[in-house]
Amino acid sequence: MSFSSLDFYLATVVVIFGVDVLSAWGLNLQYGYAGIPNFSFIVFQAAGAYTAAILTLGPMTATSGQTYVAGTHVPFPVALLAAMAAGAALSAVIGVFAMKRMRADYQAAILLILALILNQFIVTDTSLFNGTSGLANVSRPLGSLVNPSTTGWQWAYAALVWAICAVVLFAVQRLSRSSWGRALRAQRDHDAAAAALGCNVVALKMQVFVIGGAIAGLSGGLLVFYLQAFNTASWGYEETLAIFVSILIGGVANNWGVILGTFLVQIVFVEVPNLLPQFGYIGLVDALEWVVIGLLWMAAIALRPQGVIPERRVRAERFGLPALRRAPPVAAAAAAPGQQGAHEERLGAAGGASRR
Amino acid sequence: MLAPGDLRPLVEVEDLVVSYGAVRAVDGVTISVAPGEVLGIVGPNGAGKSSLLAAVGGQLRPTSGRIRLDGVDVTKLSPHRRARRGVVRTFQDTSEFGRLTVFENLLVAGLGMHGASLYAATVGARAQARRTATAAARAAELLARFELEPMRDTYAMELSGGQRRLVEVMRGLMREPKLMLLDEPTVGVAPHLSEQLRREYRRIAASGVAVLMIEHVLEVVEEVSDRVVVMDNGSVIAEGTYDEVMQSQAVREAYLG
Repeated sequence: MSFSSLDFYLATVVVIFGVDVLSAWGLNLQYGYAGIPNFSFIVFQAAGAYTAAILTLGPMTATSGQTYVAGTHVPFPVALLAAMAAGAALSAVIGVFAMKRMRADYQAAILLILALILNQFIVTDTSLFNGTSGLANVSRPLGSLVNPSTTGWQWAYAALVWAICAVVLFAVQRLSRSSWGRALRAQRDHDAAAAALGCNVVALKMQVFVIGGAIAGLSGGLLVFYLQAFNTASWGYEETLAIFVSILIGGVANNWGVILGTFLVQIVFVEVPNLLPQFGYIGLVDALEWVVIGLLWMAAIALRPQGVIPERRVRAERFGLPALRRAPPVAAAAAAPGQQGAHEERLGAAGGASRR
Repeated sequence: MLAPGDLRPLVEVEDLVVSYGAVRAVDGVTISVAPGEVLGIVGPNGAGKSSLLAAVGGQLRPTSGRIRLDGVDVTKLSPHRRARRGVVRTFQDTSEFGRLTVFENLLVAGLGMHGASLYAATVGARAQARRTATAAARAAELLARFELEPMRDTYAMELSGGQRRLVEVMRGLMREPKLMLLDEPTVGVAPHLSEQLRREYRRIAASGVAVLMIEHVLEVVEEVSDRVVVMDNGSVIAEGTYDEVMQSQAVREAYLG
């Protein structure tokens, strides 16, 4: 491998890593925080990718060599926003029936089947996005700033992807740590109880489904402008499984843990094998990848279901309560009646104590 | 102590029917509970007690009949809308939010509909911070009252069965309820916690909350209830004070076959 091809490869890995991290944050909001087993997550990434592609490919002509709908030219940022909107809109439509109150296993089955049906639909109806051949010749954006045929462009694009990642991380952290995020986790743990405490559980699920869908759409847009092509093989249902395993290994409901999980799964187990010398028959390495991912899933659930970096415990000190004295619960309970007054005193001094 | 009829009932259930297919789990039940009153519901397994409670809480849609809360018909309201009108409940299997701390469990209850609002969490963050501070102060009070302070940062799934029950009741109290529905509120609870819970149920009623309680342990029913309704096969077969219903012939037959 020459230096430039290594450079090319590295830049590609950095971009793909960013796109996969974005996806994992989107799915983590839905699954990790809200408990929605969205086995059709990759469909929403595809919605974003196809939308961004047709919005920049221009109108279809006899010489396009591919068939698609609604071809037009819009600027790159508009295409990205449209990709987000497409992910969100498709989520809203699917959410109307998939976010109803039902058992999680039924919901998982419905969403998985939906992913299979939609993929098959795009394969069959070639007039929409050119079937299995998919869309190609998507031009690289920002060509006026950096020459798109250089690795410099690739690195610039990688920087852009990660800048967007930083913004999305900020947003998902804000959301997941907010009162809304707490309500999401509450209904994840017991939906009937959350409803019985005044939370509109269906609305909560619908909101997080649409927000996750928007992030998926955004990731799809970023991906298609890098790959310049997108077809039905890019969004097989198993791609969603890889994102799930990333979350399970890295940390369910922990957005930092998800970065680690994505690195381990998508980079170490999916990308690195491409560098290994081929052995056995053609396609064996690819097939083994999925075997390994399946094993990882089982191992994660059996050995460390909370992930390498588990969900962060939110301590009451964050809400201005005085720090807990680390007394054994039994002793504290025995002394409790006499502590009543002392407790109130400490509460009174809460503001000072919490800044200690 | 309040006698039935002293106050206008807070909740009125009228000729309620809950069917599962051809089976009528609740078959024309009419009951009411006044503010400050504990109504105990007893009856053999399958008598329809839990279905009745679920219909009042909104978890089950009744086939026919009416449920009025404070004079307002709530029969068709979803559980979260009833919650906003002051209904809280515990579940037969405790319903703690396992991967939330005890304190967070209380905050979710205290913020209720505002907690689930995306708007309040983002655009309305300032008002939300005020609500959160109020809820946190109330949570601190309840943690002290229930002697659970040392457990406040513990995940609810790590608590004992009795402590989970306490958390459920505390969550209900966070909402300053008008009606509390309790489904077997002392089952699986260690004796000393059961005693504490029974005292709390009396105290909650004494503060003016109407309490509707399903309970199998007759000793608890006797101690906590002002009035008792006995159900069998979906219908009310006796109603009155604990002593009155226990002397009823119909009740003896239902229990002893």
